[in-house]
Amino acid sequence: MSSSPLLSVRDLRVDFAAHGGRVQAVRGVSLDVHRGQTLAIVGESGCGKSVTVQSLMGLIPTPPGRIHGGSATLMGHDLLASKMIDGQDIRGRLVSMIFQDPMSSLNPTMNIGDQIAETLQVHKGLSHADAFRRAIELLDMSKIPEAGRRAKQYPFEFSGGMLQRAMIAMSIACEPAILIADEPTTALDVTIQAQILDLLKELQAETGMAIVLITHDLGVVARMADRVLVMYAGEIVEQGSVDDIFYRSAHPYTLGLRRAMPSNDPQMSQSLLAIEGSPPDLFDPPKGCGYHPRCEHAMQACLESPPAYGLDPGHSSRCWLHHEQTSQRPDALYFQSSQGADHDPLG
Amino acid sequence: MWKYTFKRIVLGLVTIWFIATATFFAMHSVPGDPLSSDKATSERIRANLEAKYGLDQPLLSQYFIYLGNLAKGDLGISFTQENRSVNDIIREHFPISATLGILALAFAALGGILWGALTALYRNRWPDTVIMLLVILGISAPSFVVAAFSQYGIVNLNMWAGTNILPVGGWGSVGHMLIPAAVLGLSTMAYLTRLMRSSMLEVVNTDYVRTATAKGLPPALIFTRHQLRNAMLPVITVLGPAIAGITTGGFVVEIVFAIPGLGRFFVEAVQQLDYTVIMGTTVFYGAFLVGMVILVDIVYGVIDPRVRVDQ
Repeated sequence: MSSSPLLSVRDLRVDFAAHGGRVQAVRGVSLDVHRGQTLAIVGESGCGKSVTVQSLMGLIPTPPGRIHGGSATLMGHDLLASKMIDGQDIRGRLVSMIFQDPMSSLNPTMNIGDQIAETLQVHKGLSHADAFRRAIELLDMSKIPEAGRRAKQYPFEFSGGMLQRAMIAMSIACEPAILIADEPTTALDVTIQAQILDLLKELQAETGMAIVLITHDLGVVARMADRVLVMYAGEIVEQGSVDDIFYRSAHPYTLGLRRAMPSNDPQMSQSLLAIEGSPPDLFDPPKGCGYHPRCEHAMQACLESPPAYGLDPGHSSRCWLHHEQTSQRPDALYFQSSQGADHDPLG
Repeated sequence: MWKYTFKRIVLGLVTIWFIATATFFAMHSVPGDPLSSDKATSERIRANLEAKYGLDQPLLSQYFIYLGNLAKGDLGISFTQENRSVNDIIREHFPISATLGILALAFAALGGILWGALTALYRNRWPDTVIMLLVILGISAPSFVVAAFSQYGIVNLNMWAGTNILPVGGWGSVGHMLIPAAVLGLSTMAYLTRLMRSSMLEVVNTDYVRTATAKGLPPALIFTRHQLRNAMLPVITVLGPAIAGITTGGFVVEIVFAIPGLGRFFVEAVQQLDYTVIMGTTVFYGAFLVGMVILVDIVYGVIDPRVRVDQ
């Protein structure tokens, strides 16, 4: 990952005007997306993961939304200033996006083929006939049987899984460098979910695109991701490789998420543990670390915002427990390997 | 699509039969008849009428004679106007009403969609506020008031210009049509504007418009292809009833502007108890409306693919 990132976001801040104040949805998020890599952003509902990517794509309504800080650079281009490079929209061409609910994400009065074709017509200047022919190929690539017939059908004639395949076909039409998938399988049942994820992986292997995957499902993360960002209350609390997050969780919130995840490992037969309390009101976020009101290890220092402590290369956690003068060292959490004992985090 | 169309037409014919039956029995429950009026009709005319309509026979036989004539397209002869069949009256005067109505409808539909989309785009800014204020005025003001005021306006315009730019009433040229059509379509346009505005505001926030934005389509294309088309669906749904509103409203506007349309005959026939003209024009208007509603349904099927499927 030494090459320069395709997309680099620094200290992004987004808020929304609401009755009597502003909701701080994203509070200083930094992330890098590298070529061919899958970056997962996890967190519970309302933690700001969707707002982060939607603000990059210019999809949040402004007003009430507002990007009031930070920068985003896509291949050397300032993404927050303009979505245009050389008079052409980068959206759908360099970065494309698929959404949570395929049933409502397609225009009900336009057939599937035309909806895919129009992306090609706009970005590649193809004629309608050529674009439609290419759309059928794309549907075929997305494993939609009888693509030629299906292209002339309308969204209401498709099942949810098939619509998500059509959305994927549409998103890869211009061979984008980055595909943002905002909870692509949340609305689908589990078997379809697995097929869609496999399809995304396959297409990624073919085209070499990077995927930014937003999800609250750790199972999906384990299956897909190279790198993982854990978000809480509009901030990134821990980031690392997928193994770092699953086997060397260093933030109490990440550990809480993992403990709340069902497992079929007989050695982990303990009952699921829910995280007490509910996510903070981002209208008036807690002082310091956003997680401290729910954290079992909270201490006085947590009223100050913790810095990101680097644990291993690429693995960092924003938690005061990693400060060298902290007396607590909970066994279940991972600490920097040179300092901590050689313990099994799952033990 | 063909099955859908066929089904609509069969249902339409049943509706027309129902209208004809209801009109027939309603007319025959009205006390009095034209033959027993002061201006006594001669014995011969009376005998002829009795022979043609079976007036001396029981009501049910009269009903079947009436239905038989109707099926042949014969609407009968006026009881009060000499030597004029109802068919002739309709043939001469309906094209005028229809021209006026179609112009008014086009004005209302185009205006409603345009203003509605515009107010939605400028939501809560001054163009929205101004147009919505005018819309409330357009909905509330009765057409005869608007018609009178517009005539006053035309007179002032002509006086200011020194020549007759626009005629105040009558029929003949395009100039005769413009203002009456606008007056006739005004309240429908105001209503459609409101409908289009709310429909458009709903569509703007849908997931598929977000998808279109995420695809990087130019805003003009998103507007026409993804927003306008979907937002128009509810507007097209109410176009059927809107045609009814415009044709019935037409009576008043035709009288104010002295337009020789069918509306005047309809109203006069009711006053003079001219059975055949009342029944003929009612059934004719009914059939016309049913036809328009079917047309709207078919257009709806063309725009929204979900309607085409037969369950």
